[in-house]
Amino acid sequence: MKGLLPLFLGLFGTFAFSWIGLTVIPNMQIGALNPQMDEEGTDIYPMPKSGMAERGQRIYAANGCIYCHSQQVRPDYVSADLDRTRDAGSSPRPKWAGRRSAPRDYIFDRPVQLGQERMGPDLADIAKAAPTEEESPAAAPAGNAPAASPAAPQSPAPRANVAATTAGGAPSPPTTLPAPQATAANPSSTPSRNGIPPAYSAAWHHRHLYSPRSMSPDNVDSTMPAYKFLYEKHQISGEPSADALQLTGPDAPPPGWEIVPSYDAKCLVTYLMSLDQSHPLKEVKSAGGVAPAPAASPAATPAGSPPPAPAKK
Amino acid sequence: MTPATGISLKEPTISGAAADAEQLERARIDASTRVPVLMFYASAMVWLLIGTLLAGFVSFKLHAPDWMADVSFLTWGRLRPVHMNIMVYGWASMAAMGTAIWLMARLCRTTLRHPLLIVTGIWFWNIGVLIGVVAILMGYSTGYQWLEFPPYAALVLFVAYALIMSWAVLMFRFRRGNQIYITQWYLLGAFLWFPWLYAAAQAMLFVAPVQGVLQAAVGWWYGNNLLFLWFGTIALGTAYYMIPKVIGRPVYSYHLATIGFWTYALFSSWTGMQRLVDGPFPAWMITASIAATILTIIPVATVGLNHHMTMQGYFPVMRYSPTLRFTVFGAMSYTVFSVVGILISLRSTARYVHFTEATIAYSHMGFYAFFTMIIFGSMYYIVPRLVGREWRYATLIKLHFWASAYGVGLMSLMLLAGGFVQGSSEQSPSMPFIESAASVLPYLRGRTLAALLLTISHFIFAFHFGLMLFGLGRTSTVPTFLNPVEAEGSESPL
Repeated sequence: MKGLLPLFLGLFGTFAFSWIGLTVIPNMQIGALNPQMDEEGTDIYPMPKSGMAERGQRIYAANGCIYCHSQQVRPDYVSADLDRTRDAGSSPRPKWAGRRSAPRDYIFDRPVQLGQERMGPDLADIAKAAPTEEESPAAAPAGNAPAASPAAPQSPAPRANVAATTAGGAPSPPTTLPAPQATAANPSSTPSRNGIPPAYSAAWHHRHLYSPRSMSPDNVDSTMPAYKFLYEKHQISGEPSADALQLTGPDAPPPGWEIVPSYDAKCLVTYLMSLDQSHPLKEVKSAGGVAPAPAASPAATPAGSPPPAPAKK
Repeated sequence: MTPATGISLKEPTISGAAADAEQLERARIDASTRVPVLMFYASAMVWLLIGTLLAGFVSFKLHAPDWMADVSFLTWGRLRPVHMNIMVYGWASMAAMGTAIWLMARLCRTTLRHPLLIVTGIWFWNIGVLIGVVAILMGYSTGYQWLEFPPYAALVLFVAYALIMSWAVLMFRFRRGNQIYITQWYLLGAFLWFPWLYAAAQAMLFVAPVQGVLQAAVGWWYGNNLLFLWFGTIALGTAYYMIPKVIGRPVYSYHLATIGFWTYALFSSWTGMQRLVDGPFPAWMITASIAATILTIIPVATVGLNHHMTMQGYFPVMRYSPTLRFTVFGAMSYTVFSVVGILISLRSTARYVHFTEATIAYSHMGFYAFFTMIIFGSMYYIVPRLVGREWRYATLIKLHFWASAYGVGLMSLMLLAGGFVQGSSEQSPSMPFIESAASVLPYLRGRTLAALLLTISHFIFAFHFGLMLFGLGRTSTVPTFLNPVEAEGSESPL
């Protein structure tokens, strides 16, 4: 090394190059995105989170949910993210997502929780998987109807035109099917099996957080830790609380007691119920939202493209 | 001279009087660094033991989720960042600073001035780590990878660093001789880059937070640069000192070293965004990082070649010298780590390993197999010179080495293989997600076994280090060799 000055200039220069290149310039490029809105200035997306959801986001971060759950959907040409269906829910099971994630989806997130590993499923669109108001009572008869093909209700929706084939020749389910068919055939347990709330509803999340492995048969193998410390055990005085958890088996509290979510737990679930990237974005080719065109879809779009989201109403 | 190899195991002697003066000066310099460097090492060892135990917990809880799960501060999602931050800031940073300061004093050929300043800095640093750890356990984690400490803990770390840094600059100012040795480039780089990196990340995440996904970009920019430009530079600088020193032979090529250093600084600082592959970012960012990752083959090749040519003909010395054995293992791991990094960053592979345990394997290879092993080697060299005693048991050093080497090897293999299995099953959408996650469980159990090996290794080392610290080492003029050297006149080290 000839002298000190070149050394210091070099040390300074190389790092400044990286700093400017990887943080400052991207910040100029996508660091000041605005929500998208239509011409009338309505239909704004994304919207800032509510106070409870924002607090829930901090609880999500503080308890390390990010180490197992990502919140980003990769495009269909590199991954199966858009083909994947969730493990629970009424048939056809909800998709993970309808389109890939874009920078604009996250402009109000702090801390942003993109994630790095998937020991658990992606949560970018988890609120979208929740039963809608008019859908949840309707889910029960829908699950019972195709009694002739008992495999269908539990089958993770095969890629294309699942709605059309459900009644008739459903493709043979994968051998790795987790759910025993007996549970599906049992009509009494269909609306809410073992008292389990409809999948991905707020009540379901509470029970799942409290006791992840009680959500059988979908979740027996789950490696998610329980977050019982977010829940409180109260002695029932007078009327039971409306938001008390409906628990069965070993998790159930002794008679006269109830398990209720703490405020933090409610915030966390509010946050989960706010994770929804289903709104179309101009910069992203949306699979179901922009161009429904069902007739063209099997032929024109590649195999990776999901069906035009029948659940979206 | 060892009859087996014909290689000198001691530094080449120059001539009577000059050598004596040189030895005396070295001893004076070493003595002046004794208190701060030993304090760094002792703190680092305590954090290492805590972090290792936590690693075992975290690894075990991942496949036994109900174990000790119902207490808020023992939940997996809090213990994991505590483990990572203790390893990064408690163990690795403190051990690295200890080694760096000792090297700097030796290479500047100057005694350490104002040790009180640096001792205060060490206290502050320990307090900062402690505050951060307690904050995470109480649920105040910021949620950014490797930056989970809340800003107030980071501020304490920063004050501590300023105290230590100001001292290091002072020392460089009073150096003797004009030559700046290769190791000093690396150390100066690390001393300059770390505060900049840390301050920039804190500023862009907490002071004037950037919008949305850019927080993740800043996070990975920080994480990868911390690995490369803070830990990596100190490790490579240490290797450039220890290898020639132990075998008593100059570095093979000065030019290769120059090329290796500047390409390392230039390319590895641009990596990081490949961890966000296919994410919601402008494609150029990720592509630039993938390209930079591929280009790191240049520093890997030059540094690796340089070390190899320096060692050429001297590899048998690894049979005897603990320092050399650890250092060469670390230097070789640098090559393996970088090659694995290149392979898993390519887009065609990344789609199978993204979001899997393979990325954790990569971090451990860099952080442990490369950095930590070199630092262990340097501690085996430096500690005897500070306490005036030699390591007591060669067997313990051997056990430490093999448990560490097998532990980290097993962990890397398990997580890499598990990552590919996990990633491939994630790519088949007909398989329920829970099964794709379950497919990695056998590998995670294997990882717990590796964590057990590493725990054994670290406790052995801590015990041995404790003996040295309390003056229970061997009184001898001959260093402890791993295997007996049948040289006439030297007592058996066993």
